[in-house]
Amino acid sequence: MNEVLLELKNIHKAFGKNKIHQGVSLTLHKGESLGLLGGSGTGKSALLRSIIGLERIDQGEIIFKGERIDHLPENKLTPYRIRISYSFQSGALFDSINVFENIAYPLFEHTIFSYAQIKDRVAEMLKLIDLSGKEELMPSDLSGGMQKRVGMARAMILNPEIILYDEPTAGLDPANTLNVVELMQRLKEKGLASIFVTHDIPSAIMLCDRIVVLHEGKIIFNDTPQKFQNSEDPVVRTFIMSSKD
Amino acid sequence: MINTTTERLHNLANTIKNFLNFVGEVSALFFETIKCSFTGPFYFSRLMEQINHIGYGSTSITVVIGLTMGLVMTLNFGYGLAKFGGTLYVPAVVSLSLAREMAPLFTSLLVAGRVGSGIAAEIGAMNVTQQVDAIRALGTSPVRVLVVPRFWSLVISLPLLSALSFAVGILGGMIVCKMEFDIVPGFYLYKVFSTVKFHDYMSGIVKSAIFAGIITIFACYKGLNTKDGTKGVGLTTTWVVVTASILILVTDFFISKIFLVIW
Repeated sequence: MNEVLLELKNIHKAFGKNKIHQGVSLTLHKGESLGLLGGSGTGKSALLRSIIGLERIDQGEIIFKGERIDHLPENKLTPYRIRISYSFQSGALFDSINVFENIAYPLFEHTIFSYAQIKDRVAEMLKLIDLSGKEELMPSDLSGGMQKRVGMARAMILNPEIILYDEPTAGLDPANTLNVVELMQRLKEKGLASIFVTHDIPSAIMLCDRIVVLHEGKIIFNDTPQKFQNSEDPVVRTFIMSSKD
Repeated sequence: MINTTTERLHNLANTIKNFLNFVGEVSALFFETIKCSFTGPFYFSRLMEQINHIGYGSTSITVVIGLTMGLVMTLNFGYGLAKFGGTLYVPAVVSLSLAREMAPLFTSLLVAGRVGSGIAAEIGAMNVTQQVDAIRALGTSPVRVLVVPRFWSLVISLPLLSALSFAVGILGGMIVCKMEFDIVPGFYLYKVFSTVKFHDYMSGIVKSAIFAGIITIFACYKGLNTKDGTKGVGLTTTWVVVTASILILVTDFFISKIFLVIW
């Protein structure tokens, strides 16, 4: 087995009286793609947000490469947020700056690259997401699928070790879904570990090495996509069947 | 009866707790802003961009309010003082009022409406569309990126706008004095400069800087805590204009009192 990159131990989290995580434990290995499935409101996105400290957990431990990071203050999380990047569901592009500035933002903030180097790196990223030549466009000029891909490029630009995808195919038409999935496949082939939160079971089965199902605050399934498809667990079966409707 | 009393006490305790929490969070944002201003990277280009947007963008409306204040005050003081034979005191009264109170106060109230609402709406919209989360997720601080440039741009711009408002107000007063009361511009200006002392100018400048801090910190705080989508952005904007205006008026009284004691 590859090196463990990320470990979640007994995570508990509640929003008011709503307990969304009640002892969630997970591990993510180097180069592994993990699909995190579950019904709406089961806390999949909240779990991703907790990993990089956008939400604080109530109990448990989040360990990245042997270092506990869940209790770190905001300013101490910066090095980890560079190594674990987050791709937002909406893309979350900065709407007052163009595509180039959005993708280049982390480079301007965290590197001492020259402007020419940054330009080259952004061009390389745009090529990877099939949006070469779109540097000058504003986020409002892009389709939903393009915005998500630009958001993914921005998340990727610092060469993180893990990328957290929050429903990257949600709300996209089949062609755009395919574009995004192909991009994720390319990133996976580069050896990038990922956690993929989705309701899109076919994409998860195609991309992921392991599927995890979150239900009522707990993990009820954690195995390979093949075993997921053949699972006899009634909740998993219902989930698979409902996705086919 | 006992239940109702307990409930009321409980509600009161919650209100006090929420208020203290609010004061604590606003204070924390202020101290974080000051800390970020003097440590780590400072976004000079964003500061200049904000000065252009917030400061330069408010000049035309500042000129209008300054001129109107000068014209109206001179007219009213002139006819009021004329009844007691005190027309010659008009330049002194108008200039002192403008320097110490009217120019900084009215300019700040105007800027609270124009700029405070703009800052709150912009940051609030960024918050509800996860752009603020994106700033954090990319390893940068929303306070450093969003609050610090806005804070310093207004702290720099508002005193300058108040000074502009004062100058234009004096000009307006001069026009009315000449046209309505036959006070020649030379005498008017002589009375203005001999009446308004350095500490009067400074009183207006310092007040404006304090009001600028109030406007930006409250606007940014509310923007960063905006929830409930576009409806939330609308509520945030209204809240900021009302709260900042009230705080400016209340603070003005206390600062005026302090300045009158020390100067």
